[in-house]
Amino acid sequence: MKRRRFLQAIAAAPAAPLAAQQAAPPAAPPSQFRGGQAAPPLQTTAADLTAAATAPAFFTPDQFAALRRLGSLLQPPMNGHPGAPEAGAPEFLDFLLGVSPPDRQLLYSNGLHALNAQAGKQFEKSFADLDDRQADAILRPLLVTIPWPEDLPRDPLRHFLAQAQRDFRTATENSREWAASDAASGRRRGRGFGGGSGLYWLPIDPVVKG
Amino acid sequence: MAAKEKEYDVLIVGSGHSGGMAANILTQKGISCLMLNAGPQADFARDRVVKPVYELPYRGFGQPGRHPHIYQANEFNANQWVDEREVPYTYDPDKPYNWVRVRLLGGRSLFWARESFRLSDYEFKAAEIDGTGDSWPIALADLDPYYSRVEAIFRVTGRKEAWPQFPDGNFVENTYPADSETIRKVIDLATARGIGCSKGRSSMGQNGLASSVNLLLPDALATGKLDIVPNAIVREISIDRNTGLASGAHFVDRHTGREMHVKARVVVLAAGCLESTRLLLNSGIANSSGVMGHYLIDQIYGINVVASVPEARDGKAPQGLMGGNTFMPRFRNLKKGEKRNFIKGYCVRISSGQDANPEYFAAYGEELRKKLASYAGSCVSGGIYGERVARFENHVRINRDVKDAWGIPVLHIVAQDSDNERNLAKDAADTIDELFHAAGWEPVSRTERYNPPGYSIHELGTCRMGDNPKTSVLNKYNQSHDIKNLFVVDGAAFVTCGWQNPTMTILALSMRASEYCAEQMRTGSI
Repeated sequence: MKRRRFLQAIAAAPAAPLAAQQAAPPAAPPSQFRGGQAAPPLQTTAADLTAAATAPAFFTPDQFAALRRLGSLLQPPMNGHPGAPEAGAPEFLDFLLGVSPPDRQLLYSNGLHALNAQAGKQFEKSFADLDDRQADAILRPLLVTIPWPEDLPRDPLRHFLAQAQRDFRTATENSREWAASDAASGRRRGRGFGGGSGLYWLPIDPVVKG
Repeated sequence: MAAKEKEYDVLIVGSGHSGGMAANILTQKGISCLMLNAGPQADFARDRVVKPVYELPYRGFGQPGRHPHIYQANEFNANQWVDEREVPYTYDPDKPYNWVRVRLLGGRSLFWARESFRLSDYEFKAAEIDGTGDSWPIALADLDPYYSRVEAIFRVTGRKEAWPQFPDGNFVENTYPADSETIRKVIDLATARGIGCSKGRSSMGQNGLASSVNLLLPDALATGKLDIVPNAIVREISIDRNTGLASGAHFVDRHTGREMHVKARVVVLAAGCLESTRLLLNSGIANSSGVMGHYLIDQIYGINVVASVPEARDGKAPQGLMGGNTFMPRFRNLKKGEKRNFIKGYCVRISSGQDANPEYFAAYGEELRKKLASYAGSCVSGGIYGERVARFENHVRINRDVKDAWGIPVLHIVAQDSDNERNLAKDAADTIDELFHAAGWEPVSRTERYNPPGYSIHELGTCRMGDNPKTSVLNKYNQSHDIKNLFVVDGAAFVTCGWQNPTMTILALSMRASEYCAEQMRTGSI
């Protein structure tokens, strides 16, 4: 029986008396449900493998330009791996900061503003337009060592730079592009991070709010 | 009350190591048990998938702000932890506490690091050693046979030393690879300074898992005497008004919020130290001493001292120079009258052959890459597990202004370190630093910092045991002084915490308490 005719048939059937309903054996699942379960999953594509691009939404154009330049300095292409810009790290961080707590957002916004201000003061340029030597003159005095991961510097600009360095490293090494470069060169990928794979726990029996 | 409500012999709240052990012992003695667990059962095959990190929604960063106090969380494991937006807790802003919880069936026994130590009489009889504080009402000799049985179940490996501060156990035979040259050098230098070096001790379990769900609960279920109900959040212990005894528990269905009650002759709490105490405080019972919630302790995890072995730089380490580790159990304050600016002690772990953390260098870009390449595999590092002092002022209490997603009042946690903890950590950093200096290695990084209270995931105390009902909540069998058919068999019973992972002690105490409980039930005493 074709599906439409089957549906018409059950819609037209008279309701059975209550006693008959109680006596009847459990009904088999309607065939239209069985058919739905049998459909194989279709092939889909991750958005970042298509022509889709992330449009910067959190940072202002000036801030984003400074962020992108900062990424190219902190995490340039090295050892056959992509650099931060090639790995889409600035665009990813724009997204991440957009959904981050306000104190982290402020740290980045103020930090990028300060880099632009300092570049203007020292070189009459925006940070994005500095050459490597000029940028180094601004960044190097701000570098610190961090013996304990929670002990980021109290000075806001040094704090920002340390955090940005950490974030660019993670966003770059955990990118699809980094993993592809490993695969292309035959390097073994790490477990979990550094472009590797791991066991991801799905939400476990989550409470569904109706 | 529903007519069909069945009365169990024992209600067990919680399914981790302590609850699993209680179920294992009681059911095998023919006692019917109901286990209520606050969360669902995880299916390791269904609930985990292999994913490359770049396919995770936040590229490995995790959802910002989701687990602010769980430093162990990452985007792969984020869904295994209790979400503090769902089950919050409060603390004073200047006294942060990292409460790390798992509510899956099996609790934290699913994910523990499997380090398996006994406490020694330096911890059980701490007041005699320290000259201050309190001792347990039991000694190592009381727990020794239970430790041995637990170690057999969990298949603990270790190297026997016959050191009183590091009691040997019923170990599975193990062989260790030869130590590298750097580790041998550390051992020689430490030994010359009176510091003993051994190996870590670990539960092998079965198939890489040493949990209640594979080592304890299957045997209990096989007796036909155990029912396990997941997604049952206990909010209050019920009391029989005529007898003053515990009569069961009120619980909430996690999915629907439906309120239910279950009756039992005996109630065993094994919800994890602070959840058991929260339940008792919310029930308003078993606290004639007034010390319930107090003497919260856990262990210091931290400090980090790193040196680089010059001969191993730039990938030039000869075979056998780097690699491996050594373990130094407590070596401070083992003698009466030892003059230090802190009491108690710590253990040290030294590891060889590591890379340098990029944050050890004030550099970026290609310069940083060259440094990391040069130091790769050349580092030796040291860290500690240290003991915190049990103090009355470190406590938990109910905050009735804040409720969890099921309307249950939450805990307010107050935990703060003293100079004792800070001096202990400094001594540890100085000691490791001096060893590395004596070895002739280049200092790379050093900090005396350690993680906030709670980080070790070894919260202990708050229902401590003791002989005096005026200064303790439980007797030496984990039984409430006030309510004879109420037991607390998790870490809440601890008097001191030691530097040791507490799991073996929790298991041994739960086994001992459960056998005592069964005997009391058999004789009709409860």
